Amino acid sequence: MTVTHNTLKPWPRLASQLVHTLERPWLSAIVRKSAVEDTLNALHPLLSLDTVKARVVHITHESPTVRSFILEPNAHWQGARSGQFVRVQAEINGRRTERAYSLSSRGGAQRLALTIKRKEGGLMSNFMHQQLRVGSVLTVSQAEGEFVLPANEPLPGKILLLSAGSGVSPVMALMRELHEQEYAGDVCFLHVCRDASEQIWVDEMLLIGAQMPGLTVVTHLTATQGRLDAQALLATVPDLAERATWLCGPAAWMDQVHALWAEKGYASTLTSERFGGGPTVPADAGTPVSVVCERSATQFMTEGAQPLLVQAERAGLAPKHGCRIGICRSCQCTKKSGTVENLLTGEISSAPNEEIRLCISTARSDVTLAL
Amino acid sequence: MSFATPPKLSRAQVAEFQKEVDAIRNEAMSRVGQADVDHMRRMIHICRGSEVAGRALLHFGVGPLSWAAGVMALANAKILDNMEIGHNVMHGQYDWTGDPALNSQSFEWDIACDGEAWRHSHNVVHHTYTNILGKDRDLGYSLLRLTDEQRWKPRHWLQPFANLGLALGFQYGIGSHDLELGRYKHGAISREVFKPRLDAFLGKIKRQWLKDYLLFPALAMWSAPRVLAGNFAANLTRNLWTYTVIFCGHFTEGVAIYREEDTRNETRGDWYIRQITGSSNLEGGRLFHIMTGHLSHQIEHHLFPDMPSHRYVEVAPKIQALCQRYGLHYNTGSLFSQFATVMKRIFVHTLPPRALSPV
Ligand SMILES: Cc1cc2nc3c(=O)[nH]c(=O)nc-3n(C[C@H](O)[C@H](O)[C@H](O)COP(=O)(O)OP(=O)(O)OC[C@H]3O[C@@H](n4cnc5c(N)ncnc54)[C@H](O)[C@@H]3O)c2cc1C
Ligand code: FES
Repeated sequence: MTVTHNTLKPWPRLASQLVHTLERPWLSAIVRKSAVEDTLNALHPLLSLDTVKARVVHITHESPTVRSFILEPNAHWQGARSGQFVRVQAEINGRRTERAYSLSSRGGAQRLALTIKRKEGGLMSNFMHQQLRVGSVLTVSQAEGEFVLPANEPLPGKILLLSAGSGVSPVMALMRELHEQEYAGDVCFLHVCRDASEQIWVDEMLLIGAQMPGLTVVTHLTATQGRLDAQALLATVPDLAERATWLCGPAAWMDQVHALWAEKGYASTLTSERFGGGPTVPADAGTPVSVVCERSATQFMTEGAQPLLVQAERAGLAPKHGCRIGICRSCQCTKKSGTVENLLTGEISSAPNEEIRLCISTARSDVTLAL
Repeated sequence: MSFATPPKLSRAQVAEFQKEVDAIRNEAMSRVGQADVDHMRRMIHICRGSEVAGRALLHFGVGPLSWAAGVMALANAKILDNMEIGHNVMHGQYDWTGDPALNSQSFEWDIACDGEAWRHSHNVVHHTYTNILGKDRDLGYSLLRLTDEQRWKPRHWLQPFANLGLALGFQYGIGSHDLELGRYKHGAISREVFKPRLDAFLGKIKRQWLKDYLLFPALAMWSAPRVLAGNFAANLTRNLWTYTVIFCGHFTEGVAIYREEDTRNETRGDWYIRQITGSSNLEGGRLFHIMTGHLSHQIEHHLFPDMPSHRYVEVAPKIQALCQRYGLHYNTGSLFSQFATVMKRIFVHTLPPRALSPV
């Protein structure tokens, strides 16, 4: 969703004109945009020319491993639809690190809620759990994603909200939206977690349940009831075929549900959100992988283990370059996603939005470049 | 002075040397983190503060003392911006932070040299072909004769004056460097390549002049002459200082010069050795190192151009010890003594070769 000038609030509109002016070469020779941004930041940590910054106003310990962070965004925030996510940026040990988090709050809410599970050894989730305090400021993107309820048409009569583990965040946002809209249809909220200690929002669900006669809440505890496979799912929700379903949970489990839909040929919609399945095992060097170049709108397959610069040139692109041995950085470009190996150091990295040198990087998975 | 005799190391020794240098690099790079960004941001803050203070003193101060203080503060800002901040950021030493304000490919600095031109002439040409005669265009800046291997021409009689001119207008020297004017005149570069380079160079000069010699003086109204002179003096101070430091990096006595054919099948180990023997260091304290943008550690900078520069201080003793073990010359000295050898070289090579040899 792109927002035009006219729909912006007064300050963001003024700021975006200011940014435009500051980017003129003659003016940026006098004052850099980064200097203005730093000055604003020193005046107030939420002030910015063009970025959404959000202050932590409250932290809730939902369970031993899950916390919710309630954020108050600055004027650049353009709102969200329930179920969407934001990309959160934090500087961790000097490095800007970015991860996507679903909003567990309703789209229309003034304050944003992120509900984050601490992953053993995970960079961002541990940072959030350990370093964030009330008053900390994070940089967040505008809302993105298609995991939303239908906008300009009536809601389906029967709905299944199906979540497992931390996948409950965007599903809860949908639940809250249905509650807000006083949805009168039949909705089943089925959440899978290990045991009762991992169950969150119990009180809120009771409250919502009392106000929504059509709501059934089912919690499936895998520690006692075993995994919720296709059979168990059909047993729990016999009218599955009739329910428009919103699904979020571990990748392998979601694949099973999708397979069930395909196998049975259900006509009802199945909408899902993927959190991404942790670090992928890198492909062997030289395995053909797909490279997508965004700016030039091209896609090609790699051949052999040569660096991406050579591969791109073979595909007919002409990336900027100089030394071709990793010294000058002329060939540097942003890797949006995927795993690459640095041929000089042997380092393998999968971080999103990372600057890489094409002349010394080989692809070890499908990659997307800003090129 | 003649071409470097390649250090008498066997292939196995060069390979071993490469491994040891890599180990020093990896150890230092593994510790890069918050402290490095904090250092750079502190430098940027000091630089901004110094610029604001300098311009304020020039605009609102009265009397010669505040003028001189203003010049020093503004020169300090420009030196920090060019040396410790701009040069290092543009090498990509902070690209790992993901901070767009510290991105090597978009950084622009307060000097008459266009950032993009610099990235080419310096990062690509000079750092790749360091001290290879005919390839490293920083060798004498196509203006000076610094080795017997460069053919003497009558214009070299004027070399001391050319050198003085280069020192005074150093920012224009490096700004026009990537134009490759000489090669354009000989037809080695087409107009299509030359024209955009010229436009970039003139565009950058225009913006710098607009700022320092038009806008700020005009804002000062009746103090315009004072501000104009102050800005000019600050630019001049910066020029002389950067000239001094940079000339001491590669043009001192004992720095090796290479032939292209000797560097064709270079391994990274060979490349490391060329960087070490082709560079020279300056000794001094922390403040001195910062004011030179850590080009006082030219050797370490050439080995590890993308290592955050303030870490050169901690890797230098290890590199020096390594050089000693392998019998490589580690060229270091005080600013004064190193600069004296540079001047000597410039004057010696002013004379045609036969004037030196007894008849
Ligand atoms: C659209 C979307 C929405 C999301 N919404 C949410 C949400 O609402 N709540 C939520 O909690 N998460 C959500 N996520 C997931 C989130 O983005 C992060 O992936 C998650 O928090 C883990 O990030 P991290 O930095 O802590 O872990 P990372 O450092 O990225 O590591 C991920 C996992 O891999 C393991 N790991 C890391 N490096 C290695 C290695 N070298 N070898 C082996 N294992 C390794 C870690 O131990 C960890 O378990 C969402 C993701 C997406 C794409
Ligand atoms: S081309 Fe010089 S770093 Fe890649």
